[in-house]
Amino acid sequence: MELPRPSKKTNGVGVQVEDTQICVVMVGLPARGKSLIAQKAQRYLRWLSIDAKVFNVGNYRRNDTPHPTAEFFDTTNVEGERMRRAAAKAAVSDMIDWFKKGGLIGILDATNSTRVRRRWIAETMDAHGIETLYVESKCDDEDLIMSNILEVKTTSPDYIGQDPEIAARDFRNRIRNYEKVYQTIDEQESDLTYLKIMDVGKRVIINRIQDYLQSRVVYYLMNLHIKPRSIWLSRHGESEYNLGGQIGGDADLSERGHRYAKLLPELVRKSVGDDRPLTVWTSTLKRTIQTARFLPKDYNQLQWKALDELDSGVCDGMTYAEIKEAYPEDFAARDDDKYNYRYRGGESYRDVVIRLEPIIMELERSEDILIVTHQAVLRCIYAYFMKKDQKLSPWLNVPLHTLIKLTPRAYGTIEEFTSSGIDAVSTWRGQGSVAKHEDPPASANTLGSAGDGGA
Amino acid sequence: MSINATVASELELEPRVVVQGPQSSPESLTVVTTFRLYERRLSLRPELSETFVEASADTFVLDDSTAEIAANSPRYRRRSSTFIDGVHDVPDEKNSPMAPAQLYSTMSGRLFHSGRIAIVLVGLPARGKTHISVSLCRYLQWLGVKTRVFHLGDYRRATMGPGVEVPDDYFFINASAASVMLRQKILKKCREDIYAWLNHENGQVAIYDAVNPLANGRRSLAKEFAKHDVQTLFLESYVTDEKILQENARSVKISSPDFIGMDPDDAAQLYLKRIDMKIPYFETMEEIDLNYVKMINAGERISYNNVSFGYLSHRIVFYLMNLHIKSRHTFFARAGTSSQEDSYKLDAHLSEEGAEYAKQMSETLLEHREAERAALIASGGSDAPLKPLIVWTSTRKRTIETAEYLGGNGFKVRQRSQMSQLNPGVCEKLSERAIRCMYPEEVALHEKDPYHHRYPRAEFYKSYHDLAVRLEPIILELEREQNDLLIIAHESVLRVLYGYLMACDAMSIPTLKFPRNEIIEIIPASYQNEAKRIIIPNVDHNIIPGSPEDIKILVPPSGAVSPMPGSGLGTPAEPIINLSKDTLAPPKITNGSAKEITTDAKVPIPPHKPENPLSRD
Repeated sequence: MELPRPSKKTNGVGVQVEDTQICVVMVGLPARGKSLIAQKAQRYLRWLSIDAKVFNVGNYRRNDTPHPTAEFFDTTNVEGERMRRAAAKAAVSDMIDWFKKGGLIGILDATNSTRVRRRWIAETMDAHGIETLYVESKCDDEDLIMSNILEVKTTSPDYIGQDPEIAARDFRNRIRNYEKVYQTIDEQESDLTYLKIMDVGKRVIINRIQDYLQSRVVYYLMNLHIKPRSIWLSRHGESEYNLGGQIGGDADLSERGHRYAKLLPELVRKSVGDDRPLTVWTSTLKRTIQTARFLPKDYNQLQWKALDELDSGVCDGMTYAEIKEAYPEDFAARDDDKYNYRYRGGESYRDVVIRLEPIIMELERSEDILIVTHQAVLRCIYAYFMKKDQKLSPWLNVPLHTLIKLTPRAYGTIEEFTSSGIDAVSTWRGQGSVAKHEDPPASANTLGSAGDGGA
Repeated sequence: MSINATVASELELEPRVVVQGPQSSPESLTVVTTFRLYERRLSLRPELSETFVEASADTFVLDDSTAEIAANSPRYRRRSSTFIDGVHDVPDEKNSPMAPAQLYSTMSGRLFHSGRIAIVLVGLPARGKTHISVSLCRYLQWLGVKTRVFHLGDYRRATMGPGVEVPDDYFFINASAASVMLRQKILKKCREDIYAWLNHENGQVAIYDAVNPLANGRRSLAKEFAKHDVQTLFLESYVTDEKILQENARSVKISSPDFIGMDPDDAAQLYLKRIDMKIPYFETMEEIDLNYVKMINAGERISYNNVSFGYLSHRIVFYLMNLHIKSRHTFFARAGTSSQEDSYKLDAHLSEEGAEYAKQMSETLLEHREAERAALIASGGSDAPLKPLIVWTSTRKRTIETAEYLGGNGFKVRQRSQMSQLNPGVCEKLSERAIRCMYPEEVALHEKDPYHHRYPRAEFYKSYHDLAVRLEPIILELEREQNDLLIIAHESVLRVLYGYLMACDAMSIPTLKFPRNEIIEIIPASYQNEAKRIIIPNVDHNIIPGSPEDIKILVPPSGAVSPMPGSGLGTPAEPIINLSKDTLAPPKITNGSAKEITTDAKVPIPPHKPENPLSRD
């Protein structure tokens, strides 16, 4: 079969990062984790301040057909086929409009299971000077597919309010209909830029990467897996510095902090639900290591320098009142733009996000992990999983002595909070507020509070 | 010289002899350098030079003593010049505990909890293995990962002695007992050095550059490394595209007397055929039980298998996605001067003399490229047309307008916003003396660590380190670019990019100088990059000096490196009279040569620039 070769901007002409617009096209059968990957990619890119958006073809299709049965997806069903094509067209057209407004990376979340469909997308995007990057998730692991099916039948809008058994059966039939026409990306499409992930990331093919930005996206996607997992987060126990309202430093835990450390194994075991061991990451500072030290011996513990608290430079060890006194301009500048403000000789939140890159990549590659770290770092990691924007994330109130459980799902991350019941000082301070730690009012963005959608 | 040799040998894996390179006059610069490039390519590819090239007095300037060095070259040396790529240097950790783009450091010296890794190259000759090894090493070092390349060819040559070939059946499966013994002897020495590096020198990544043609051999290698608690990642360069093979073959075969007078394509064919005869058994990687990355056709496709051990291996794949194995030159030039009293905020247009400068610079560059091509053809090289030249500028008006002359002559110009300079912050409009008076504490901090220090109000206190981290996309695009490239940017940006390509250590980056009357050319070779100055004639002496918006505070003499001759910051660059010997000499000769610890390091604090240096640019 002779396929037309789309004209491409090649890497040879030094495509500028900000000139490049990429349509990431998901490819794969249902229940292969495509939506999960698409959502994660969007979240990650936005976290890095790159404008990205997912266009889910299913959502467009649902406008006309909210609860289709498996027959709708039978390729011999002419009406179903027509409607599905219309939905794809509408999604692509909206995406192109979004690119025209300056969008950088659009993610087309659909099965895109045939060569014809993929070629059509490539040609359509090419006509607008937009690159395409195909991402195929190929997986034959029955257990994994089943667990994805179970998740879909309980969370997919297609099956809301239906009997889970019937939903699961119908969904399996839907997959079978797709299997009839599914064409994996192979040599016939060797002119396309694609990433093909097989056997849950064990084998990967990367074809014809055209520029830096594509390589960056592929780099991130390579680290993803689609196995169900959770991440537990905790700040260190209350420290001696916390008691005095000082920031930074490498202080020991307070008496209450030690009590939290002793209680932590119990909190974790309850939250995990069984006795399987977790991998524990701490920073290299005493207060996180002390907090994690009573966890069971079969928990593998790693210390990461990258998890150390935001470096407050010359202000390390000072209280907010002392900072305001010594560096009034800096104090005001930080209130003004906390995300970008960099302490003299220290770091900004933006710097922390950059240094967390290895952590995020490792976190995506790993399965169940418990991270014991610091307020600013935890804000950044939380913002990554929960899509909090830069204006908000540095002001989040992350209470001490609370265990947070995050479970990434295809349609969002589920969060659960377990309070230890051990009192601790507040280390939160509101924007434009007094120069000291204060008790957060109800209006503050407190993790785990009712207002923040916590459990 | 003998002192240098002693100092050097203490730091190196093996003792060796040091001699000075041949003298050259600056007039012969172009020809000589081009010539040496090819000569080096051969001498650095022992499997090629030993087998297919007979060294004759006519083609080689190597005399007996240099051949002796080549034979014993341990490849690792103290840095002798910023004109020679530092990728094979023994890092001086006392001076630069952190690498240029390193985000953090650890007590063990290892990063990312990635453990110790052996990256084992796989592939026949002419597949770009050495280039890939060295490039990857440079990138990992830049990130702060302690990485070293071990070229098995070096060990083979050292064992065989100069000019002695390995036996014909050396690579054969059914080799004679003697050949097998020889092979094992050579492997053993190389392997011992790898373990010494990983176990006793805090090394994290050892890159093992060898052919490794057979699946069985690779399996047992992985087992052996595992026994030493080292994870193995194989990295194969596999080429199915005849065109790429031909091009690679043409670029290496050129100086061989065997091929003189032959049609270049025929010569390349013959050369490739000889590789096949020499190494008749080669199995591409299909071992699903091993961790491997396979680069097919110079990165057109990358496939990997079971790479399960952490951040670093994925980061390596990320880098490889941007690497190609073609050879191209990079040029660095400064922007012309602007019309108004210069200011970061004003972003002024080029002045008349700035525009004149742009024209002079462009013409010098174009002439130079033609001269290089002529010299290459004269020395029997390829008569292929010059690669297209692409120009990158920052988004500042001065740099864009400096590129206009070339743009007007049909060269492609790209603006790259990431290449905007360091915002000089509160120090922008001040002379060095004023800065010293007003901010004595900041000056003290800056002098302590000019690479990491951030001046107040400077884009939220941005330092060279911040710039290096921010330039990551540019660095990877730089690797991607297949055409020749001219970069016109602010001096601070040029310093960082030069620092990457030449593997400079962090502390020397802020001291690099790019006077306006020079274009710096970086010539890649598979073994290491080499830098060269191209003098722009008749440039007004007043506009030559380093950039005025830059903070003019002297870095205290460290005794470590001398960036370039005449390195005192804030002083006009010395007119370039001659190139230092080490610029011209092949790298093995520069080892520990006269300029090893330069006298520049002892230069006292140079006089401050008179009045307000900012008004001059």
